[in-house]
Amino acid sequence: MQQFKTLKDLPEQDYFTGGSSACAGCGPSMGLKLALKVLGPETIIVNASGCMTLLPLYPNTPLKASWIHNAIENASSTAAGARHGLDMLGNKDMNVVVYAGDGATYDIGLASLSAVAAKNERIIYICYNNQSFGNTGFQWSTATPYGSETKTTPRGKNNPTGTTAVNKDMVKIMGAHRVYAATASLAYPVDFLNKLSRAKERDGFSYIELLGACTAGWNYDPRLTIRISKLAVRCGMWPMYEIENGILTLNKDFSELKPIDEFLKLQGRYRALPQDGVDRLQVLINEHWAELKEYNGQRYV
Amino acid sequence: MREEELPYKGIKGIPIIKEPGSAAKVNRGSWRLVRPVHHSEKCTKCKICYTYCPDAAINWTPDGPTINLTSCKGCMICVEECPTDAMTEEKEAT
Repeated sequence: MQQFKTLKDLPEQDYFTGGSSACAGCGPSMGLKLALKVLGPETIIVNASGCMTLLPLYPNTPLKASWIHNAIENASSTAAGARHGLDMLGNKDMNVVVYAGDGATYDIGLASLSAVAAKNERIIYICYNNQSFGNTGFQWSTATPYGSETKTTPRGKNNPTGTTAVNKDMVKIMGAHRVYAATASLAYPVDFLNKLSRAKERDGFSYIELLGACTAGWNYDPRLTIRISKLAVRCGMWPMYEIENGILTLNKDFSELKPIDEFLKLQGRYRALPQDGVDRLQVLINEHWAELKEYNGQRYV
Repeated sequence: MREEELPYKGIKGIPIIKEPGSAAKVNRGSWRLVRPVHHSEKCTKCKICYTYCPDAAINWTPDGPTINLTSCKGCMICVEECPTDAMTEEKEAT
């Protein structure tokens, strides 16, 4: 198994080129670039409809690996089909990877994802989570955190909070399928690629969730993509942990979290969130963090 | 663009892209308002700019990073993240 210690160890070959139609400073496209460093050209990427579907636009593609695009609800089923086909051909080396957004993972594709995970197919599922239906114009999804403004949950006189629902704990749901489930961040590429190379070696289903900062939807200056991703981890908004066979391991442990204000004030989607909303969000984050600290190294699900 | 000039004109069935990585020749430089400039005397070759470039516009050579201005969209992540200020930004001539 490939293990990396520093940025300098990361593979130098790239299977992703520029010239795609992604936004400047796009987090998910950076995630795909990093993922292909470990996965290599012998990879079938199965994509559910989303922003990343627009990377290969005929006649150009930024990818040097195979790509299947299908409907938003059945990326996992397609990947399982591709894996079975490869098995029949006797091909063991090819990686089958799903690269889908949070709308396709949390909401529309959850049934097929759950079925494939329960069958423990040898697939790597990467969810690039931009906490909304980003491609259609930033609508609310069940990944949207409390207090965020979206197109379908706008702030107004009657509802100053924006999103009043609390986001789904998807990693815990996937961990309960007794597979490998982990969170990753763009600001910690070494950790992300180590988790990917671990998933690549596993003989079973792996689920990696990447926080893909979205410059257009989260409404921030594109240059802050990495700084915001790092603050999400430091503020406890996006804790880094993995669950294997129900056992939780906290990868980045901090004695004290930074106040959530530092993460919120850089983004337009949290502008005008009233103070009681900020306090409520801080309570939710602290509860989740305390839960992770308590179960670190123990059976979590 | 007129209909005769469209790239998929005359293709029947599912169009297949035969050349991997063919987007590299597409010019996205026109998206930029500012461009990154690399100063090799300050560079410590830490590979941060190269790793964090979302468009793979920074290529790595043994002498350090080189910027491909055809692919660079001007997000300035490299300028923001460079720990030694070896990347600076410069306004594009309009």
